[in-house]
Amino acid sequence: MTALQNELKEMIIECLDLEDVESEEIDNEEPLFVEGLGLDSIDALEIGLALQKRYGIKLDSNSEETRAHFANVNALADLVKNHRTQ
Amino acid sequence: MAGFKLEAWTALAPSLEHKDDWLVWLKENRQIDDQNLNVNLKHVPMMLRRRFNTLGKCAMGAIKQLSIDNANLPCIFASQHGDTQLTLSLLENIGKHEDMSPTGFSLAVHNAVSGLYSIVNKNTCEVTAIAAMEGLIASALFESIGQLQKSEKVLCVVYDVPLPSIYQAYSETVDFPYAIAMVLSRDKGDEMSFTYQGNVPEHVKEQTNINTEIRNFVGYLSGQLSDYSCNVNGSIWKLEKKLNNVS
Repeated sequence: MTALQNELKEMIIECLDLEDVESEEIDNEEPLFVEGLGLDSIDALEIGLALQKRYGIKLDSNSEETRAHFANVNALADLVKNHRTQ
Repeated sequence: MAGFKLEAWTALAPSLEHKDDWLVWLKENRQIDDQNLNVNLKHVPMMLRRRFNTLGKCAMGAIKQLSIDNANLPCIFASQHGDTQLTLSLLENIGKHEDMSPTGFSLAVHNAVSGLYSIVNKNTCEVTAIAAMEGLIASALFESIGQLQKSEKVLCVVYDVPLPSIYQAYSETVDFPYAIAMVLSRDKGDEMSFTYQGNVPEHVKEQTNINTEIRNFVGYLSGQLSDYSCNVNGSIWKLEKKLNNVS
């Protein structure tokens, strides 16, 4: 799992222009949005697009489930592991 | 006649970071290298800083030099074309049948930079975004003077970046990225008058080029020129320091 988590962190840094952030600084369990890393709603859409491009995962932007998948890096890794189509 | 007081002004472009740099440039008229843009946005939180590209950096850099830090002022932002490079990159993605970046889309609107500015400064006042080709600076001043009717002060920013080369055959554009930021006030600063001077003679076909406008306006602000004249919709307007009434 660690390799996938690191891959996701690199993806987040790249697609969100987080120039000053190193992947080691992103904690697997810490919230990605508002608290923790401090991402916002536009970032969520951008990550959704990146997941679709890279892993073929389509998400419903309004569902509670999607909210849970975006909680932190570990949750995203579970999502990718279970639902990737590419 | 329309009047206001100019409390403060700044201008910023690549290698033209301070008023002294502009004074030298006004005399020498050398070419400006776009690559030399040096703006420190350390005062902007990193998560917001990443959303500013060249156009936004120019505006933020010029505003920062006004030192009005957390002033909650109505803002007028005026630009001929906005961030056309960003719009072009979105169109190119559509052309390639790729999905559009939500961030890119949100930042490609004409009030993107003013919106980001208001978030950074927690500014809750009115924000106006103007797009104008002819008379850009005059349009920004007209709107600012209008808003001074109900506000003590307003922040007025005129800014642009050059159009991408594929559009340059169709429209005039600036030679280099720049921003001019001003605080217009009812009570504080040099008293200015902005007066109608009659119509542009019919034989005059040519519009004033934006680069000449910028040069003349900064020349006026810095005291090198005694006034600033411009054409807007066939009318001539002149900005100058108001002379004290003797009577």
